[in-house]
Amino acid sequence: MIVLRAEDVWKRYDDTIVLRGVSLNLKKGETKVIMGPSGAGKTTFLKCLNLLVKPDKGRIWIDGEEITSPKADITRLRQKIGFVFQELNLFHHLTAIGNVMIGLTKVKGMSKSDALKKAKETLKRVHIEEELWRKYPAQLSGGQKQRVAIARALAMDPIVMLYDEPTSALDPGLSSEVLLVIKELSERGITSLIVTHEMGFAYEVADEIVVMNRGRIIGGGSPEELRNAKNDEVRNLLNKWNGLKDGVLV
Amino acid sequence: MGIRMTYIYSLFQYIPFIAEGVLWTASLVLGGLGIGFIIGLPLAIAQSFGGKKLGKVLNAYVWFFRGTPLLVLLSLFYWAIFPSFGFKLDPLKTSILVLGMRSGAYQSQIFKDSIKSVDYGQILAAKAIGMTQRKLILYIVLPQALRISIPAWSNEYAVILKDSAICFALGVMEILTRVRYVSTATGLALIPYLFAGILFFVLTFSGTGIMDFIHKRTRIPGMVEGLR
Repeated sequence: MIVLRAEDVWKRYDDTIVLRGVSLNLKKGETKVIMGPSGAGKTTFLKCLNLLVKPDKGRIWIDGEEITSPKADITRLRQKIGFVFQELNLFHHLTAIGNVMIGLTKVKGMSKSDALKKAKETLKRVHIEEELWRKYPAQLSGGQKQRVAIARALAMDPIVMLYDEPTSALDPGLSSEVLLVIKELSERGITSLIVTHEMGFAYEVADEIVVMNRGRIIGGGSPEELRNAKNDEVRNLLNKWNGLKDGVLV
Repeated sequence: MGIRMTYIYSLFQYIPFIAEGVLWTASLVLGGLGIGFIIGLPLAIAQSFGGKKLGKVLNAYVWFFRGTPLLVLLSLFYWAIFPSFGFKLDPLKTSILVLGMRSGAYQSQIFKDSIKSVDYGQILAAKAIGMTQRKLILYIVLPQALRISIPAWSNEYAVILKDSAICFALGVMEILTRVRYVSTATGLALIPYLFAGILFFVLTFSGTGIMDFIHKRTRIPGMVEGLR
């Protein structure tokens, strides 16, 4: 069952065409990774999927409902998509648990006690210890902040999680704790679309890897298929990222 | 010398009269700040989220009140605008309204800057969890923007307090008007005007002290520092 479908998505900023007809399907329970060099359009594409960026052309369906339709209830459909940003966008005036609760109380209309219970469960799920629940974002490390951001998105019970380079703003030491959480969620069947530069992680977690360059998808397949990619452009990019020759991953 | 001392002693009988002026000044300041807040906050929200066209229209209001001297505004509204609309307001009410409308223009700029300093990433994050624009303004932007604006708002209190003295031009019985009356009646200038200065200083100092206290009590670790 396809839970997220994008068809021929185009986006232009002034004279620069950022997306050139990108299409993608995501099945329930699937983990798909988008890779590509900087400026490939990965983040823009991800933001188009929940209309944080409005595409110029193309159609997008979430759980069978078209979010790009003029009649679409965008705020309701966005609740079906969990979005984790690279910039650690926690709400500065709320504690860790407050960040997770606010969507539940103010968007989903849950009672405070139910929201608190759910927030606690979700924070535990992303391994945020109890002593951190009442801390403000400025009092948390980068890795902890990003895990709270994952919890905030996850608590809304989305049908798909989108991760936009979730570790790019973190020190390498802090990246692993975030990647571990994403991997655990993915293994538990949470449908995920992940933009990342962490190649080892991508090969480990992905059912399918999509490679983007200059606003279009230039190739993709299972990690195994990608290891043996025949497309020159894809091979060259993989070689560049790996620092390896002939696209061979160790 | 004896006559002089008699005048000075006679000043004591005017203390309750001048002290009553503090209440009038407080009415001008609190009324002006309150009306300014009611005008300024929605104005700032509309300027920040209402699009360019609306922003330009609202800018006209802001620039009119920021660009016109208070004395001109007081005279204009008291002698011309309010009467032409059929309102016969007394000097105190007119002064409170004018101070409020003018403060609204200044406060809108304070709140607009504070709203701007809430980083856009948080607004995107609020949208991403399904918040409507109204909810994200109410629950994400304003709780932060209002905290950030406290120091500037405290400054606006001090400004409006000092500006309130200009309302003597309409005959409002605030501190300065009463001190001028006492000065004329006693023939003394130094002590009455010094007393007025001390009263304004105490009101400024205590008011900004209260605002500092509120600022400290509502401070969130790392928030303001992180946004600047």
